[in-house]
Amino acid sequence: MTTVRDGTTLQSSVRRWLHHRRGLLIATGLMVLFPFVVSLVVDGQGISAVFANDEGNARFLQGLAIEIFILALYALSYDLILGVTGLLSFGHAMFFAVGAYTFGIMLKTAELAWPTALLVVLAVAILQALLFGVVLPRVKGIAFALITLGIASMFWIVIQSSDLSDYAGAEIGLQGIPAPARFLDSTNERFVFYLITLAILVMVYMLYTRIADSPLGKVANAIRDNEDRALMLGFNTFWFKLVVLVIASITAALAGTIHTIHQPIVTPNVASLGYTVTALLVILIGGVGTISGAIVGAAVFRLLQYYLDRWFGGSSDLLIGAAYVLLVLYLPYGIVGTWRVKRLQIADGRKRLAALFRS
Amino acid sequence: MSDVILETRNLTREFGALVAVDDVSVSIEAGSLHSIIGPNGAGKTTFFNLVSGTLRPTSGRVFFKGDDITQLPVHRTIHRGIGRSFQITNLFPNLTVLENVRLAAQAMGGDSLRFFRSHRRFSRYIERAMDVLEQVGLTDKAAQLAGTLPHGDQRKLELGMILAPDPEVLMLDEPTAGMASEQVPELMHLVQSIQESGDKTVVLVEHNMNVVMSVSDRITVMHQGALLAQGSPAEISADERVQTAYLGELYKDRQGDR
Repeated sequence: MTTVRDGTTLQSSVRRWLHHRRGLLIATGLMVLFPFVVSLVVDGQGISAVFANDEGNARFLQGLAIEIFILALYALSYDLILGVTGLLSFGHAMFFAVGAYTFGIMLKTAELAWPTALLVVLAVAILQALLFGVVLPRVKGIAFALITLGIASMFWIVIQSSDLSDYAGAEIGLQGIPAPARFLDSTNERFVFYLITLAILVMVYMLYTRIADSPLGKVANAIRDNEDRALMLGFNTFWFKLVVLVIASITAALAGTIHTIHQPIVTPNVASLGYTVTALLVILIGGVGTISGAIVGAAVFRLLQYYLDRWFGGSSDLLIGAAYVLLVLYLPYGIVGTWRVKRLQIADGRKRLAALFRS
Repeated sequence: MSDVILETRNLTREFGALVAVDDVSVSIEAGSLHSIIGPNGAGKTTFFNLVSGTLRPTSGRVFFKGDDITQLPVHRTIHRGIGRSFQITNLFPNLTVLENVRLAAQAMGGDSLRFFRSHRRFSRYIERAMDVLEQVGLTDKAAQLAGTLPHGDQRKLELGMILAPDPEVLMLDEPTAGMASEQVPELMHLVQSIQESGDKTVVLVEHNMNVVMSVSDRITVMHQGALLAQGSPAEISADERVQTAYLGELYKDRQGDR
């Protein structure tokens, strides 16, 4: 923040910010160092191997990390509407897929430059949020979930139709999407792309924690808790829900765009109900409404999925299912949510213990 | 005669064949404590819903300071200066006591769509909320979740949420509902002090006759949706029709009406 309040210098507010964000800063620093550590320790290669984009664990794990960042962005946007605002949407995969498809088609078929393609994605993302917004004032709860499911299912069918195969590639999806720019190329410039994706995730995360703590976020919490009461307090809840949907839609479309650049193919899978359920699972694992839980959940989800599949092959689905059951049983508020509850309890207990000794 | 702040003219609401509010015209004077009483099902809460904009009347009009507010949506009436509480406790149970009141204060400012600054930077809402919590006696419970409060405290919080936006008219729907009887005088004293301290008008629905008779300036009696009587507490307690409505047919029978 550039606003300096009376009595505080710029220096001290920067220091406060660094202190406040120290966890995030440390995590970001570790993620930047991560490829180098893997290259040195696991691959036995030097630091230059990371820059040279050499084959090895370092390069592969960066790819996996990028997938986690994309999933985290996608889950963050779902946490904003479900966890913070309490809107249960079953059409969230569409938000992601619209970004992925639009960006791919703009690059491949329309042959636009990437900044223009990105602007088109932005416009389309806002438009689809408004489309969801049309039904917002009319339905609530399960009815909203079903209508969003209906809209997303229509989208899923349309992109697979043979009439649009010249653009969306029917069941196969989009293939042969050109790299948008030299530095936006996950195959040839993996480390640069890794850093860019990480930076985007960190920025979106900071934006989201701000939103959750802002006056708007507080009204969103009120809507989640008791929408009728929020209305009677004088909040026109429709506008708040619409703003939240627009922000989430843009974020999910951005995640879809990065997905397109990284893969670089887009299959209709990303528009399916299964992909909405993925977002739901990720924030259930991480902790609904915690924001940071979306990132933790994305990491746990993707790593479990990848390593269980690698170690156990076909039976991995069973193990993943068992892992979810255990997580829900023992971490009912998700990893971050349960941690926060426990931390409060520990602080509480410590206070009581101290009071006991003082008396 | 002082100014009329809130007025209904021939207000009617039908639910199918049932006429819940039947041609009710009431004038409420600014600065008064006006009670609305009547047996269960008399239409008191429906009347409140019509005035606060939660329901639309079948016919008739509502005027606030001379403006027609009949069609005003519920989230706008509060901005005009009409606060309304609920018979059934209606809070944000998973938010803290402070946050419940702070939101009510925030609703009155124009900052609610701001999303890039912490809500703590808008300290005027927090200060307002703390003032209100002190007024209703919940300061030491500010950090508790509203849903974990005992019922009596939830009723106080409900009152706090109406006070926070500083409305001109407070419509209280049985503020003491479900409260332990020893807590009732405390809350009613609070309501009275609010009305007397400022230029506030209180419209009160209450079942406790002792309370109503002692605090009200004027009383409106409703019965089966219709207006039965209006007047000062003394006039109402002497009114035979009111006695009949409250004591019912049994009373009539005893009088030998058959």
